[in-house]
Amino acid sequence: MKKEQAAPVPFQSFGRLRRPGIGLISAGAKRQLVDRIVGKLLLFVALFAIVTVFFIIVFLLRDGYQIVLETGIWNFLVGQDWNPAGRDPAYGAFPLIVGTVLVTALAMAIAVPLSIGTAVFTAEIAGPRTRSVVKPAVELLAGIPSVVYGFFGLILLADWIRIAFDQPSGSSWLAGSILLAVMAIPTITSVAEDAVSSVPREFREGSLALGATHWQTIKNVVVPRALSGIGAAIILGMGRAIGETMAVLMVTGNAAVIPDPITDIFSPVRTLTGTLGIEMGEVAFGSTHYHALFGVAVILLVITLAVNGAARVIVNRMQATARPKPHRALTAAASRITHAASAPFGRLAHPRTSQRCAFLLISLSAAIVLAALGVILFEIVVNGAGAITWEFLTGSPRDLGRAGGIFPAIAGTFWLVTGALAVALPLGIATAVYLIEYTADTPLTRGIRAAVDLLNGTPSIVFGLFGFAFLVLFLNFGVSLIAGQITLGLMILPTIIRTTEESLRSIPGSLREGSYALGATKWQTIRRVVLPPALPGILTGAILSIGRAAGETAPIMFTAAVFSSRYLPSSLAEPVMALPYHLFVLTTSIPGASTQSYGTAFVLLLLVLAIYLAAILVRRRYNREKVM
Amino acid sequence: MDESTILETRDLNLWYGQNHALIDISIRIPKNRVTALIGPSGCGKSTLLRCFNRMNDLIDSSRITGEILFNGNGIHDSLADVYAIREKIGMVFQKPNPFQKSIYENVAYGPRIHGVREKKALDRIVEESLKGAALWDEAKDRLHEPALALSGGQQQRLCIARSLAVEPEVILMDEPCSALDPIATAKIEDLIIRLARNYTVVIVTHNMQQAARASDYTGFMYMGKLVEFDMTTKIFEDPGEELTENYITGRFG
Amino acid sequence: MTGKSLSGATTVAVAGILVAFLVAAGCVGGQPSDSSVSQQITVTGSTTVLPIAEKAREAFEDEYPSAGIMVSGGGSSVGIKAVGEGTADIGMTSRDLKPEEVAGYPGIVRHHVADDAILLIVHPENTVDRLTLDGARGIYNGTYTNWNQVGGSDRQIVVVGRDSASGTREFFSEYVLEKEDFTKTQEEFNSNGGIQQKVSRTPGAIGYVGLGYTEGVKALSLDIDGTAVEPTLENITGKNYPISRPLFMLTNGEPDGLARQYLDFIMSTEGQQIVASVDYIPVQG
Repeated sequence: MKKEQAAPVPFQSFGRLRRPGIGLISAGAKRQLVDRIVGKLLLFVALFAIVTVFFIIVFLLRDGYQIVLETGIWNFLVGQDWNPAGRDPAYGAFPLIVGTVLVTALAMAIAVPLSIGTAVFTAEIAGPRTRSVVKPAVELLAGIPSVVYGFFGLILLADWIRIAFDQPSGSSWLAGSILLAVMAIPTITSVAEDAVSSVPREFREGSLALGATHWQTIKNVVVPRALSGIGAAIILGMGRAIGETMAVLMVTGNAAVIPDPITDIFSPVRTLTGTLGIEMGEVAFGSTHYHALFGVAVILLVITLAVNGAARVIVNRMQATARPKPHRALTAAASRITHAASAPFGRLAHPRTSQRCAFLLISLSAAIVLAALGVILFEIVVNGAGAITWEFLTGSPRDLGRAGGIFPAIAGTFWLVTGALAVALPLGIATAVYLIEYTADTPLTRGIRAAVDLLNGTPSIVFGLFGFAFLVLFLNFGVSLIAGQITLGLMILPTIIRTTEESLRSIPGSLREGSYALGATKWQTIRRVVLPPALPGILTGAILSIGRAAGETAPIMFTAAVFSSRYLPSSLAEPVMALPYHLFVLTTSIPGASTQSYGTAFVLLLLVLAIYLAAILVRRRYNREKVM
Repeated sequence: MDESTILETRDLNLWYGQNHALIDISIRIPKNRVTALIGPSGCGKSTLLRCFNRMNDLIDSSRITGEILFNGNGIHDSLADVYAIREKIGMVFQKPNPFQKSIYENVAYGPRIHGVREKKALDRIVEESLKGAALWDEAKDRLHEPALALSGGQQQRLCIARSLAVEPEVILMDEPCSALDPIATAKIEDLIIRLARNYTVVIVTHNMQQAARASDYTGFMYMGKLVEFDMTTKIFEDPGEELTENYITGRFG
Repeated sequence: MTGKSLSGATTVAVAGILVAFLVAAGCVGGQPSDSSVSQQITVTGSTTVLPIAEKAREAFEDEYPSAGIMVSGGGSSVGIKAVGEGTADIGMTSRDLKPEEVAGYPGIVRHHVADDAILLIVHPENTVDRLTLDGARGIYNGTYTNWNQVGGSDRQIVVVGRDSASGTREFFSEYVLEKEDFTKTQEEFNSNGGIQQKVSRTPGAIGYVGLGYTEGVKALSLDIDGTAVEPTLENITGKNYPISRPLFMLTNGEPDGLARQYLDFIMSTEGQQIVASVDYIPVQG
């Protein structure tokens, strides 16, 4: 009853091609050994994240705890005066804490409605074409380096506030908040938009099928369902705002006062980050003031970590509660909608009118966000394009940067970013591979993950301080390219770990099984089956990190950057010029260099935007391939 | 049963955490025959299949007692090499899972990881494996195109070719046709019958016609136990247990 | 193919880590001893002195094309620390060394390269042209909050100053404020240029800066016993304008090699002309 059809090929023929002379057991032992060694190696690398966090905390505390010894923790935290240079030096961080809280709070008050509006607009209302404009635009907003924002705020925003509100000075709480709001919007918008888009279709359809308007559906079904995601978005945006240094210190006036009255949004304020940014460079080493600044950094770290911890709790809760019970939300929504429908006839027009109003407001918020981007780009492009000459791009600066070019800065930024990637990419990928492929949920992995989260939430200025205390001073690297590269590398490490993790998670487990079933070891499976398709995702993460590293000023200003250098660095021990730092110095320290400032801002912007664009293209191409 | 046995379990028990998934299974899989495992969802037939090449090792919470013998040697012995076992006992999964590589690289993957580097040898293995899986004629002009561009049935045959390329003695198939349309299913069934000339095939299936058509032996499992194991003709025409008969005739609650 | 390139990538990664650590280790050991004999030096420190160093560097490098001089800011404390620790060849400071710094780095040698005056600057539209020292002190300690209290029109004073780690601020605090506390509402910037920009954009503002930063702002004369002393070069060199201070470059021990050549160049006639060209007061010739 068997069909005795001849098998087309005599299979035994290629048996002899295989590994002559190696018996089954010894070959297996060798492979197992390699596998075990690789596993241990990856574990070793993954521990690096924990070690880094440990070192950051140790080095901040090492220099910071002395201020507590000198002033007492209470006086340091709630002391009303920050006056390190006074006759009786006072180190009360309270005004700085208040400044940080106020600036962040107002920034959130501005950013949250605009971001949620923009998120709802892109996810729900905009057509595909509008969406394809708005989404990248918001992402580009995220790509603008903070020193460019600060530059913009210093030149335009502060002046505008002074004139528009008839104030003696425009450097104010309000200016800082507006700037931070614009910087937080992309973070909040993209995370919130993900949350809104991920609400399953059935929910919308269920609601619409009950006769609800689109707006009622959004309001009663979609947004409530996405609420925890939106909450996480807000907190992530807040983390970004609290940790921001350069833009804030350029526009808030940095007076260490608590606004009086507390609602005076035109009062100058000073934030924790701003204090570090302006005082760190000149403080005498080992002085009380120096310790006080590290104390400030510790406070800053604690606050940002608390905020990020809150985000984590919310996200976890969201993941725990989101899955079950689609029905409840729908029933609730249905009852609300039928309720509205049973209202007297005269009010039936109401839902449509309110939909129109709501959509108008939502579209308006998206328009405001786009306008903000437009204004910044316009200002910088119009004023900066003129400065771009061949000499500007290829020459060295002369006359304190008022003439000549910025080539050493471009090259310096290139080296900094390359070095940062060389540090972060292997570490990050190895850590992610270990976390995803090698271990289940153990206390150790939880520790590593927590460390990565901590690193992710650490403000860039804190990395700068750490790099300065640890690399520049403790290891005696001096202000050097390598100190900057390592500092930047640590800063982008969490981003690379996270994007790699995401990417690895998206590779279906069936592929791994397929490989194991052929007798492949774990490492062979990872290297040949898992990593290649994960590569585009990893690449996107790397590119986004490049953008971030290229635009950051705070981590390099104490570790690697110099104001001028005619030559390109010839060794890693030399300091370098860097575009963001150059722009910072030109704007804040060199009078009469505004053309060059604009030109530098333009080049920096162009560079970072080009990198982001590359990331968007890689992602789009990858998505298209995946669909095929 | 006077056939020679290639795979055997003795009092095999398996737990996933607290869940006792396999209970006292003793079975002998005859060499160069097609053996089908049938039973309702969750009866443990896939779990049993995954015991044969130790794929359950990948699930952290799983625990095993009893013995599994491959050609008379315990596959959990301390000297046993799990990779060599998987090389000798291939597996084809429910959903086709070609790697995100070209057709050629998918088939060459196994030989490569086991140390074959020579291009000529690889070419030959790829060709012979694809022929063995009846895919050569359809794929020979597009060897370097992505495997994911193939149809579902072709992808499944590619996965079979992929496991043939490492010269297994046994091929385990876990509902290999459940994601395929009837025409593709028929092709795979044909292939299974032909493969039995050189290989031992163990197939888990939901489809009783498939078991009846393609297999020589059939095991019926229920609630983690092997209820009955015999010649396929015997099971389908004259089952020894009432449970088996109820299942086969569709009277199952 | 992908498999192959990827294994390459891992090799590179591992190699990268190793190289990074090796190079890092190399830097720690090699850097300070190398720099004294190489044709490259680093100059770091006070942003006030930076323009001199930078302009001198340009001229010096034009003369000696093989020389490589890297100038960076960071502040007086950075300059002192860097030269004391040997991470830079030349430090710049706009204040004298503090006792603990002298004790910590006994080898530091000061080179007095120029003098600087501190100017009070206001917005060009401000009707006030001169201030007494008492008036300036009153503004900075918060006694006066409106320009009409010091002879100007009715406009709120926006007090602008340097950050509390700045040498300029320290000097100003000692000389003008006699160590009284600054008003708490003083807006702080971490550079002369920042203050100058702020003042040039804010009609009610007053700031204090080094000599070079007068573009777009008006420098006030000092009212000394009824006579207005303008901050001109003659008045400052002649010590008529009282708020002035020395600027130093520092070396660890007596300088040699390129550092010596560079410092000699700054002290030469040409170098001192450069000092004058960036609006500081030459100390020679």
